[in-house]
Amino acid sequence: MKTEELIATEELCERYSVEHTFIRSLYNSGLIEVITVEKREYVHCDKMAEFEKLMRLHYDLEINLEGLEAIKHLLDRVNELKNQNIALKNRLGLYE
Amino acid sequence: MEFIDYYKTLEINKSATKADIKKAYRKLARKHHPDLNPNDENAKKKFQKINEANEVLSDPEKRKKYDEYGKDWQHAEHFEQQKQQRSQAGGGFGGGSSQSYSGSFDDDRFSDFFEQMFGGGGRTRGTGRSPHFKGQDFNAELQLNLTDVYTSHKQTLTVNGKNIRLTIPAGVENGQTIKIKGHGGPGVQGGPKGDLFITFKIANNTDFKREKEHLYSTVELDFYTALLGGEIMIDTFKGKAKLTIKPETQNGTRVKLKGKGFPKYKQEAEFGDLYITYNIKIPTNLSSKEKELYTELQKLRS
Repeated sequence: MKTEELIATEELCERYSVEHTFIRSLYNSGLIEVITVEKREYVHCDKMAEFEKLMRLHYDLEINLEGLEAIKHLLDRVNELKNQNIALKNRLGLYE
Repeated sequence: MEFIDYYKTLEINKSATKADIKKAYRKLARKHHPDLNPNDENAKKKFQKINEANEVLSDPEKRKKYDEYGKDWQHAEHFEQQKQQRSQAGGGFGGGSSQSYSGSFDDDRFSDFFEQMFGGGGRTRGTGRSPHFKGQDFNAELQLNLTDVYTSHKQTLTVNGKNIRLTIPAGVENGQTIKIKGHGGPGVQGGPKGDLFITFKIANNTDFKREKEHLYSTVELDFYTALLGGEIMIDTFKGKAKLTIKPETQNGTRVKLKGKGFPKYKQEAEFGDLYITYNIKIPTNLSSKEKELYTELQKLRS
């Protein structure tokens, strides 16, 4: 993994004005992945969109951690069903 | 341009208190927030509308102006100027205390009505945190024909005014989305660039049917070849192929031509199979001689 693709959690706290405990809570709930390199914690830049989304839902819509877990599960399910739907529609083309 | 009833948008009445507005906004935002309605254009538009309504109604100055001019909003600026001249108050509606929700979506696209009434600098943004660090992700749709994705090819796309040259891998599927890392919006204050997500819409411009890496085709087979066997030439995706027909082949028989299907996505030189279904054509307009001979054959079978 390239270290330049990692963003230190301290930097995230500063940029987004969020508490470190928030990132820790997301990590403890399995909502984001935190990578530790030489005792410093990082989030991979590929996971930033997910982090930003969770942040918006928590701070803007006042959804607590349990709510975020439920939403993440449901959105993952929606995404899965969406992909299934695309696959089924493509398959339906065989019978048209 | 039409008048926008912001109260109606937030489903509140004109006597709503600040707390009522906040409550109504939050309730609607939770319902229509783009993060909770991925890829839903209607929800996105609705969210933009409620954001705009909140921008106006949660800011006492903007609300006052909006209420004061109501449907005469087209003259609002004119009245405002006159009023300002009279009071020599100056200023405008640049400041405010309202909060609007942030996002990596186009939530800042306010209506012409808003722009005309409050001007481009009329909006207040943000929730106190920096909503953007990573650059914005872009979404694009690319229309291709099935024949285009049989081989990997390079294509130049123009996204937000920038030309991006990318290789479209053979075997990409209809509805599939691929991520082009770092081709979204620029990051803010050293933040990583956003990504570009391209969704492929693939139109089938061939007679073949496709399911993932497999192709399907129906071939008409004449009655005698089906009965007695023989050889036929068929079209594959890439050219012609000779097929040996077994004697007494039944209608609807399906044969597999291994490796004559579609390329497997991101598996170089690997192909799916082509399935051919025979559709046997029974002779029509029989002559009296043919009828006679078929009757003879029928008798042999009974």
